[in-house]
This record gives sequence, C-alpha cells and structure tokens, in this order.
Amino acid sequence: MTTPIPLIHIVDDDESLRTALLRLLDAAGFKARGYAPVGDFLLQPPPDGPGCVLLDVRMPGPSGLDLQAALLRQGSALPVVFLTGYADVVASVQAMKAGAVDFLTKPIQREALFEALQRALARDAADRAARAQAEQLRAAFAALTPREQEVFDRVVAGQLNKQIADALGIAERTVKMQRAQLMAKLGASSAAELGRLAERLQHLPD
Amino acid sequence: MMSRAKHGSVFTLWVACWLLFAPAAPAVENRYVLVLYSNHRLLPANLEFEAGLRETLANSTELNAEFLDYPRFDGESYSRALTRFLREKYALRPPVVLVVAGEKALDFVLRHRAELFLRVPIIHAAVLRSFLQSRPPLPADVVGVPIEFDFPGTIELALRWHPHARRLVVVTGASARDRAWEAELRGEVSRFQDRVTAEFLAGLPTDAVLKRLSELGSDTVVFTPGYFEDGVGHLFSPRDAARLMAAAAAAPVYGPFDTFIGTGIVGGSMPNFAAMGRQAGRLVNDRLAGGAPAAPRLPEMMPKAVNVDWRQIQRWGIDPSAISDDAIVRFKTPTLLEEHATATIVATVVLLVQAGLIAGLLFERRRRRRIELAVQQQRFELAHASRLAVAGELTGAIAHEINQPLGAILSNADAADFLLASGADRRDELRAILADIRQDNVRASEVIRRLRAMLAKQPVDWQPFDLNGAVRELEFVLRAEARRRKVALDLRLAATAAILLGDRVQIQQVLLNLALNAMDAANGLPEARRAVAVSVERDADRLALVVRDRGHGIAPEHLPRLFDSFFSTKPRGMGLGLSITRTLVEAHGGRIWAESSPGAGAVFRVEWPVAGGAGTAEPA
Repeated sequence: MTTPIPLIHIVDDDESLRTALLRLLDAAGFKARGYAPVGDFLLQPPPDGPGCVLLDVRMPGPSGLDLQAALLRQGSALPVVFLTGYADVVASVQAMKAGAVDFLTKPIQREALFEALQRALARDAADRAARAQAEQLRAAFAALTPREQEVFDRVVAGQLNKQIADALGIAERTVKMQRAQLMAKLGASSAAELGRLAERLQHLPD
Repeated sequence: MMSRAKHGSVFTLWVACWLLFAPAAPAVENRYVLVLYSNHRLLPANLEFEAGLRETLANSTELNAEFLDYPRFDGESYSRALTRFLREKYALRPPVVLVVAGEKALDFVLRHRAELFLRVPIIHAAVLRSFLQSRPPLPADVVGVPIEFDFPGTIELALRWHPHARRLVVVTGASARDRAWEAELRGEVSRFQDRVTAEFLAGLPTDAVLKRLSELGSDTVVFTPGYFEDGVGHLFSPRDAARLMAAAAAAPVYGPFDTFIGTGIVGGSMPNFAAMGRQAGRLVNDRLAGGAPAAPRLPEMMPKAVNVDWRQIQRWGIDPSAISDDAIVRFKTPTLLEEHATATIVATVVLLVQAGLIAGLLFERRRRRRIELAVQQQRFELAHASRLAVAGELTGAIAHEINQPLGAILSNADAADFLLASGADRRDELRAILADIRQDNVRASEVIRRLRAMLAKQPVDWQPFDLNGAVRELEFVLRAEARRRKVALDLRLAATAAILLGDRVQIQQVLLNLALNAMDAANGLPEARRAVAVSVERDADRLALVVRDRGHGIAPEHLPRLFDSFFSTKPRGMGLGLSITRTLVEAHGGRIWAESSPGAGAVFRVEWPVAGGAGTAEPA
C-alpha cells in the first residue's frame, strides 16, 4: 500500500496571497489546495488523507480560530498552522492552546513556513501511524473471544493462572491455553508486554 | 507856523467854553493832573508813556496833557507865548500835580515856574540822567526817576550778535535834537574803533539814507535813534524814520528806543516808556494820597532791558543762544503750548491717553489673535494626536491590510525562485507571478498612501469636497477594522453629491471617531447585534453623517455630558474623542448630537446646513 502524498489545505480569503502560497508550495514540491472562506473548506468532504491546514486567523465570517475549533469537534486530526497579518497575542495563545502547530506572521519567510509545514506533516504522519497502530491493536483485541478477553483482563490485573481458573470456574490448563491464544492474537510474548498493550488500549483515542 | 494871534483866539475860545460848561466844579474837588510832554502829541514814546500813566492812575484822577512840540517848535518867543498861554489857561483851574515828560518839558517848567504852576508839585519822567547831572539840583517838590538811553549798550549788543560785522553805520537827523544825538553818538562810537569802522549818515535826505542803507553788505550793522527831521526838512517821528530805514536796509538795524520794536529793527538795550508812565503814575498817586515823596525810596534810574524782535533774529540768522534770558523777546509766535497751555496739555494728554488706548487695544487684539492662533494650532495638534491615537487603535486592521499584499509578494517571489531553480521552462507562470507581485505592491502602497493622507500632520485645507468621497476613502480601513472586530459594517452613501466646505481629513476623523465608538459599543454583544451602519444623507437643506450601532445605548444621564472633554464611560477612555469630534464638527459650521433609547443602540447624527449654491436643483 503506497502512502498518499500529504495535502496542504490553505484557507485564506485573500485570493492574491492564497494564489502565491499555492504557487510557492507547488514549486517547492508540496501538494496544496486553496479555499477562500472557511465555509468552502467545511463544505468539502472531510479530508482523510495525510496533510495539514494552513489557516488565516482573520477572515470575514467564521475566523480561522472558529475553523480550528470546528475541526477539533469533528474529530479531524489535521494539524493546523496559523497565518496572521498581525501578531495578536490573544489570538495566538488561543490557537496554540487549541493545538496549533505554529502561528506565523505575514509576510511569511519560506523557511519558517516550510519548517512549520514539515512539523505539521510530521505530526500528522506520527498521528496517523499511532492511529493505525491503535486501530490494529483494537482490531486484534476485538478478535478475542469473550472468554479470552476475560482472561486478558485478569492477566493484566496481575492474577495468577490458578486464581483465574478458580474465579472463572475453569481448569487451570484451559486458562493457560486461552492465555497463549490471546497472546498470539495480540502479538505479545510476555505478560509484561500484555500489560503495556492494555495501557495503550486504555488511552487510545476514540 | 501858527501866529501868536491865532493862539490867543483859540485860548480865549477854550476859556469861554470852559466857563460856560464847567463853572460849577468846585476848586477844592480839583484832582486833575496835567502832563506836559516835550514833544508832539503823536510821538509813539508819548503814547506809550501815557498808556502806562493812565493804567496806574485811579479812574477818578482826571488827566490833561500839553505838548511842547519840541523840536518842531522851539525858541524864546515860542516859549514865552506858551508860558502865557498855559498860565492863562490854567489860572482858574491849576492841576494838583504836574507831570513833565522829557528834559525839554522839565527845563521849560523849571524856567517858568515863577509864572506857571508855582505851588504845584512836579513829577518828572523820561528825563535823561545826564541832563539832571548837568544842572543844579532840583527843588524838593520836583521828583522823578531819571532815565538813560543806552546807545553804547545797544551798539555793543549789535556787535555781539553779529560777530563778523566790520562796519557800523550810524544814522541821525537834522533837527537840534537829532544833532544832539549825533554828537553823543560820535563820542560813543570812538569806543568801538578797534572793532568796526564807523560811518555816519547824519542829516542826509531820507532818500539818500535809504539808498545807502540798501547797499550795505553783510559785514555791516546799522544803529539809529531815528530822527525828527531829515536833511531836506521833512519831519518824522523817530519811529517812522526807523521804520523806513529798517525796511530799506540790507543790514540789520538796531535802535535804543522800545517804541522801535516792531518797525523792523532787530532790537536794542532800551528803557521802557510805558514803565516810565507807570512810575510817574505811582508818584502821582502818592502825591494825591497826601504823602510826601520820599526821595530815598525812589530808584536811581529806570531799568533798561534788551528788547528784541524775534522775526528779525530769524531773518538775520542771529544765534538765539546769544540772547540773554532776561531779554524781552517780542513777536515770537508763541508755540501752541505757550499760547493755550492748559488746552494744549489737556489735548496732548487726551491724545496720549487715546493713543495709549489704541495701542493697548491693538496690542490686545494682536495678543488675542495670537492666542486664537495658538488655540487653533493646539486644536489642530490635538485633532492630529487624536487621529494618531485612533490609528493606534486601528493598528491591527492596518497591519493586516499591509501585510496581506506583502505576504503575497514574498511568497510569489519565493515561488519564482523555486521555478527558476527547477530549470524547467515555466515562463508563463513566472510572468503571472510578476504581474501579481506588481499588483500587490500597488495594493500595499495604496494602503500606505491612504493612511498617510489620513494621519499626516498637514495644515487645515479648507476646500469644498464630497462627503461621499471622503467616506468612501475611509471604507478600506473601516472594513478592515470591522472585520477584525467581527462587526458587520453597512455603508450607505447619498445618491447625489454631498458637497461640504471644509477640511476633508478632519471630517474623516469625525467619521472614524464615531465609527470606532460604534464598534466599541458592539463589543461583547451577540453576533446579531454586532452591526454598525454609516450613512451619508442629503436633503434639501442639510447634509448629514449618521452612525448607528445596536449596542446597549447611552444612559439618559450621560447624554448631556457626552461631548464634554474627559467624559468617558469606557474603562480606558480618555474622554477626548467625542469632544474633539464636536470641536471639528462645529469648526465646520455643523452640529452633532446623539439619540439613544437604552437597549436599542445609539445614533450619532452630524448635520451641516447645505452650502449656498452647492445644492442640487429641487423640484419647484
């Protein structure tokens, strides 16, 4: 499976600037797409490919900050790099708190822009990888039988095979077998590894 | 010559008249004074003398005068006839006091005293001291103050006032009196031999004298006591002779008698004939009062004084500083100050006060004007400062407006860099990039130009302008700010030109202040109420700029103070914005007020009457 080229979404109502940024990113080998108002972006089907959002803070109608909030509500994991015509402390703090990768002041130096975009894409890639891994783990966990899940819970809770067998009213040997099966399903080689998996499962994003 | 017979008949007639008309006058009441003059009736010296005498005598004192008419009449027989005439004339009515004027009269009376006025006390006047010294002492009942004519003093004066004079011309006449003066003068003149050459014109015909005088040079001064008779027997009074000479002479003429002053002579050292008359009058008064004349009390001699005709001083260019302070200066046109001292001083003071007042008022006016200018300047500075403050508020909007094109330019340039580095032929793209860069550059500089126009500190520029245009020029910055603050801005211009006379920038400042205020009012309100409407309205007789917001409105108690300086309801407001706004509006002949119903927002209306003639045609 080939990884798709990340797409940079530029949301800026200023056509001239948007065009210039598209040109620059295109020439620099990025793949980018422009949107005039915030609404245009939101009307598109939510992008699921890798990428990030390059977002102007101040726009008529909903602002860049509004869009960031909307994206978070929608569960979109796209990292956001803000652009602003004027370094507004309040806005930048709000943006960074909401998880923005960076807050760039126009006119933007390309090194700063590329660096921020790289970071955003890297974070996106990492997010994606983590999400894929979690997905995988979740799928593996979902593939366990109910009894295997019960055994898993108790193993992770630190109970011995004998204790598990007593509690479940089954033979200790049966417990051993199911334990081996679920470890194979989850790709774990030790009880300690099972514990780490359980911890990760607990903290997985929805 | 009158015959003695004729004299006799005149006398008889006179006595007859007197007997007819004045017999009732009792002799004891007789208080009249007889004055006997040496010369004739109209001699100026006699007139002066008598004036002085009359002035001094009491009104009740009767005065009669007789004239010896010397030197026209002289000689023993005349003397005898006159004595008889006077004796008979005054036999019934002798004077109480006899005043004799001049040596001749004194001499006559003393010689004939046995026949004439034997017991009548005599007061002499205008008698030369030299004459008294040349004869035996006077009887005790003959008193008077002698005089002296100052020939040498006058000549001395003339030579002092004309230091360059080398010649002295002395003019005398042909009568016995004149010859006596001539003799005296010949003696005096010898004193001045070392200083001037003396020339005597003695006993010449008047024509010859005048001709000679008219030929004199500037190195000459003339001295004359006048004359009674010239070389061809023409009779004169000395004053008339002096007048002729002064008129003809090409050199300054001096004389020893104060009666000459005014005839054209320069002046001289002179006794005063009127003073002699007054002195005689005082002696007469004493005598009439019954007091014995106290000889030791009398002055030794009548005083002399330098008399001078100011016109002649000027005519001959005599140094005025050479004139002593005690000189009697005549014909000096008194200055206004001398003539009307009080009036002049009052007038001068009034003028000075007036001038001072005017100067004061002018100064005050200038000062006020300076203050007005300073105030105007201050208002201008304040307006500018306030504009800058507003600009500070707008910094965000402005930076956005400028950084937008700058960002586009930079990114376009960066893109071009990459395209060139790629080596591919992307000319079309590069051209498009360059076109965009140019366009963005224009856009940025346009923003700056507008800002400069709005913020520049420029003198007030009073010109007609279209209010619509002024508002439109501000649109970019208002929209930028509205966007920044998430306020909906509704801008409505008048359909027709709204011409206002004034300073466009100041009116733009009015709009900016009101619009920013309105946006402030929208702060923290739900989106539906975050709206500001700006409109230019134009009707038949007025122009209006209206700014509406939908904020909380203005509390009724705040409305009256809204435009006061330092009144603010904003936590960080200085309270100058609306005050300056009103100042600017009123400077343009308009008025501004606010209307508000709490909760429904506020409306700020600025109205100007339509400038005459600028209005559009209205339907009839």
